[in-house]
Amino acid sequence: MLEVSRLSHGFGRRPPLWEIPHLRWDGRSLVHLRGDNGSGKTTLLRLLAGLDTPRRGTIRWTLDDGAPAAPPRFGDLLYLHQQPYLFDTSVAGNLRHVARWQGWRGDDARSRIASMLARCGLADHARQHARSLSGGERMRLALARAWLLSPRVLLLDEPTASLDRQAIDDITALILSLRETGCAIVLSAHQQSVLTERCDAEWHLERGGLQVGDMQAGIAEPRPLGADS
Amino acid sequence: MHELMATMGKALHLLVSFDPALWEIIGVSFRVSLTAILVALPPALLVALVLARVAFPGRWLAISLVNTFMAVPTVVVGLVLFMLLSRSGPLGEWQLLFTQRAMVIGQIILASPILIAMLHSSLQSIDQRAWETARQLGAGRLQAFAMLIHEARFGVIAAVLAAFGRIIAEVGSAVMIGGNIEHFTRTITTAIALETLKGEFAQGIALGMVLLLLALLLNVLLGVMRGRGQQMVSA
Repeated sequence: MLEVSRLSHGFGRRPPLWEIPHLRWDGRSLVHLRGDNGSGKTTLLRLLAGLDTPRRGTIRWTLDDGAPAAPPRFGDLLYLHQQPYLFDTSVAGNLRHVARWQGWRGDDARSRIASMLARCGLADHARQHARSLSGGERMRLALARAWLLSPRVLLLDEPTASLDRQAIDDITALILSLRETGCAIVLSAHQQSVLTERCDAEWHLERGGLQVGDMQAGIAEPRPLGADS
Repeated sequence: MHELMATMGKALHLLVSFDPALWEIIGVSFRVSLTAILVALPPALLVALVLARVAFPGRWLAISLVNTFMAVPTVVVGLVLFMLLSRSGPLGEWQLLFTQRAMVIGQIILASPILIAMLHSSLQSIDQRAWETARQLGAGRLQAFAMLIHEARFGVIAAVLAAFGRIIAEVGSAVMIGGNIEHFTRTITTAIALETLKGEFAQGIALGMVLLLLALLLNVLLGVMRGRGQQMVSA
């Protein structure tokens, strides 16, 4: 579960991008973080991932058993950049790095990597240099790397930005599959797409605040600040 | 002209006939300089990483200092080390003066600023997302550091080649703290200086050819590394 209180952040001496008095999230749903360009979506996701420290306020993650997990362990909670950074090696090599960091060796590592490449439709690209992939394939590789770790929460920064229709469909299918494995996901997107239509809830960054809406319940207007999602 | 050609011929003969005295000098030079690079590299990498990735007060001053030390004359390093290591100096008890170890220390001091400056520049050019991605995907701090070095590998190799080229060709520090002792601390550059003073040019020219060849090789390798590094950055 995520609990945010009195959170605000900004850059330099400029006023804060937004202020979030209170936010609770069960950490089980698929959330669409909406907002115009420059509204602070990336900033919020990076703060939630523990990559940056907020100017003010607290972010508290708790595990299923109620034990505090602040900051959460990398691997349990993953943030994916809008333009994912791919290591300077092959597609399979990118996954091998993750396997090595997890301490997986030999046949175990090979079978995990092969199965993940197949699941993400990258088996035919295994030996290709990662940086020669197309935009959609790059995002699929970044998702495959993350999926290897079976994260509890995934924070995706504009995962379908600048992609064509087919690539968006592929990424949507992958994200929904990940969701089915029990991974909670917050994804930012400033435009509606087939992916955002499948989300359970919506967080809307607007006029310096965050509004929360339940899309499955059919609530057209977001509920006011501080409501549980 | 005839004498010059004859001397060149003698020099070539010394090289291709594997003259033991000549190749012993080349061996000492490479042993001292390679040892210095190997010892200097790990701390230089660490300092370069801190300068490239950690924001602390006075970082720009530290970077300026490193850049300044790149221009320190080799004789000044030799002079300071001579005063420290001489029998009456504060480190005289170590009895290092006129030994290969002393020469290694001198070359570490000369190589470190070049290594740090070039490694800093190379590590700084690696995208911030590389560190974040590695850490998030489960890499420990050391593993993430190793990943950064892997990503910057062409720049790292270029830094090592440039530093090696600088220290193997230096003469000021080597002659002052090595003493140019035959079979022990005589290096390519100190031998060239001595042979020239003695008026025996053949060995000096042969050693000069080795240095020129090495310079050519290092420059070609540096060019290749720079090309690959730029390809990687633009990918």
